[in-house]
Amino acid sequence: MLLADFLEPSTIVYEQRILTREQVYKDIINRIYQLRPDIEPKCGETLLESILEREKEAPMVYPSGIAIPHIRLEGLADTLIGMTFLQNPLNYDGIKADWIVMIFTDKTSSKIYLNIVSALLKISEDEEMMTQLRSFNNGIEVINYLRQCKIKVGQELSVADLMVKNPVCVTPDTLLSKVDSLMNEHNISCIPVVDNEGRYLGEISILDVLKVGMPDYLMMIDDVAFLRSYEPLESLFEKEELVCAEEIMQKNTRVLSSDASIVETVYHMIKDNKRYFCVVDKEYLVGIITAMDVFRKVIKA
Amino acid sequence: MSATVSMLIAVGIFIGTYILIITEVINKMLASLIGAFLLILTGILSQDIALRAIDWNVIFFLIGMMLVIAVLRRTGIFMYIAIKTAKLARGNPLLIMMLMFVITAIASAFLGSVTTIMILIPIILLICNELKITPVPYIIMMVVASNMGGAATMIGDPPNIIIGSATDYDFLDFIFNLTPAIIFASIACLALMWFMYHDKLKVSRENRAKMLSYKEEGLIKNKRMLKISLIALAIMLVLLALESILKIGTATISMSTGLFLVLIGERKEIEQIMVHEVDWVTLFFFVGLFIIVEGLVQTGFISLLAHKVLDLTHNQARPTSMAILWLSGVLSAFIDNVPFVATMIPLIKQIGTVITEPNLIDPIWWAMSLGTCLGGNGTLIGASSNVVAVGIAKKNGLNISFKKFTKVSVVYTILSLIVCSAYILLRYF
Repeated sequence: MLLADFLEPSTIVYEQRILTREQVYKDIINRIYQLRPDIEPKCGETLLESILEREKEAPMVYPSGIAIPHIRLEGLADTLIGMTFLQNPLNYDGIKADWIVMIFTDKTSSKIYLNIVSALLKISEDEEMMTQLRSFNNGIEVINYLRQCKIKVGQELSVADLMVKNPVCVTPDTLLSKVDSLMNEHNISCIPVVDNEGRYLGEISILDVLKVGMPDYLMMIDDVAFLRSYEPLESLFEKEELVCAEEIMQKNTRVLSSDASIVETVYHMIKDNKRYFCVVDKEYLVGIITAMDVFRKVIKA
Repeated sequence: MSATVSMLIAVGIFIGTYILIITEVINKMLASLIGAFLLILTGILSQDIALRAIDWNVIFFLIGMMLVIAVLRRTGIFMYIAIKTAKLARGNPLLIMMLMFVITAIASAFLGSVTTIMILIPIILLICNELKITPVPYIIMMVVASNMGGAATMIGDPPNIIIGSATDYDFLDFIFNLTPAIIFASIACLALMWFMYHDKLKVSRENRAKMLSYKEEGLIKNKRMLKISLIALAIMLVLLALESILKIGTATISMSTGLFLVLIGERKEIEQIMVHEVDWVTLFFFVGLFIIVEGLVQTGFISLLAHKVLDLTHNQARPTSMAILWLSGVLSAFIDNVPFVATMIPLIKQIGTVITEPNLIDPIWWAMSLGTCLGGNGTLIGASSNVVAVGIAKKNGLNISFKKFTKVSVVYTILSLIVCSAYILLRYF
């Protein structure tokens, strides 16, 4: 299936004015209603409110500058797409988006939606295509260009689409103090360890850091309810300058490749009871994927 | 196949398996099962005879005990006793060592040495760390205590469980004959311990205060379950003591107790307990051993060996029991004591067909039991609890070498074997 076949020229707009998110969304919704006047609910305002409400929890914006709000409708039995190219990008809590694509799907279908998202993300990450798309000024040109590029819907969403690229990482000789401050600064609970060339070696989770203050024998005791305070744990910071990443990192843990599917990712997350995986392609670290990324971008979409 | 060839193959498989078990080239359960099924494959044993050689009474008894311990452990009673003991000693390092010795021995006598060691060694590491003293002598002393305690009852160490199952001796016979020997040996060891360590261990007031601030009250989470468990354990011991009248079977007694406790206290956790708390690897190791030893019995090797032993001791019970005590002691210091006992049982049964008077054969059995269990202290590899304890120490950055361990433990082994020799000679002859 080609992405171009899902699009209608009348729902693709180039906008020069400075508009708010609400105005942009309202405009797209109106155009979709003109295309399909039979949509329930009849009132576009309710749809707009619900979509803005949902975005407060998890805005569907991606670092490449595309926002993909999603609306599920009871009994729509179709997939409708409206899009706006903005001269003046919208600001989503720090991430700027100049391409807003709104997707309407039936309540029950989500596979096709994920496939469309995947296709859109691939386009948005492609500098050359984006330059071309921005240079047009009407929907027909957009549809023709996408048809010409043979952009397909059906390539499954993969880890590469959702992962955080170039995550914060450290080398084996990094001191624990540095690891601690990076975790604190970036508000992350896992740091991959790589060599100087960027090859993945292992990872350090926040629990590995805390474990420095907990000797093995303590972990073998059935219950530590009798201990009120414990010196090694409280003086963890004294070891910060003595312990380096290599000593506390987890080796031989599962990593995912960037072309792994989302279902495989979730499968391993649940099975291993882990909320993140490092993404490694041919020994090199390329990203990190967290359960929250999957949750926000796929499940809440 | 001629009888001699069969015997040679059986002995060959036996020796090959034992070498694998001692050197630990491969997992010992794997070695014993391979040896066992090789005997069937080569036609030395029919599958029927091989499977019937497995002492299911031992296997189910152990499963039952593992269930009992799993439930008991979750009540927090072991932790409570250990912490309470250290506090009762008011942080006095020698007193802690001696009390821990006693507690380890008593717990091992009723729950098995390995479990006791797995629970208590991490705690002593914690206490020594808080008191800033070296845990090495404590670890060695507790291992010595666990092997001695395990020798005291029928349900302590696996060798006694296996002897109890293979013979007509019941729970009370073990208590009357072995427990006094172990009490004497323990007193001797405690005296030696005092002599060795009384002026070596020092603790500062500050560190002692830290340990005394432990709040052990919170460790017992479910008082009702603890009460039920202790009552069930007491009933189990009474049933075991009355076994010669009741004739229920020891496996049934332990399984009933275990199943009852799991049903009452941990029925939601049953799969977890069956997978993680029942030590299937050890159980199947035993299964393999029973079959391998049956190969030696069926091919006549054991009776050959028994006659050689009796020739050497001129059919006399006194030198035979002394020889068995010290031979068991020395050999089980190097060989895992379960395979050793599994081999010795048919041998002594065979001797029993020559020395038929009960008061003469009894001391031979007790000599073997004491020799095997106490011999486990001889070296670092003598018994499972030694290996487990040293393994835990190593995981905590504490390297106890073979030499370092053996240098201390062998003294206690020889002392306890001397005490037992005197006990056997004075009591039975």
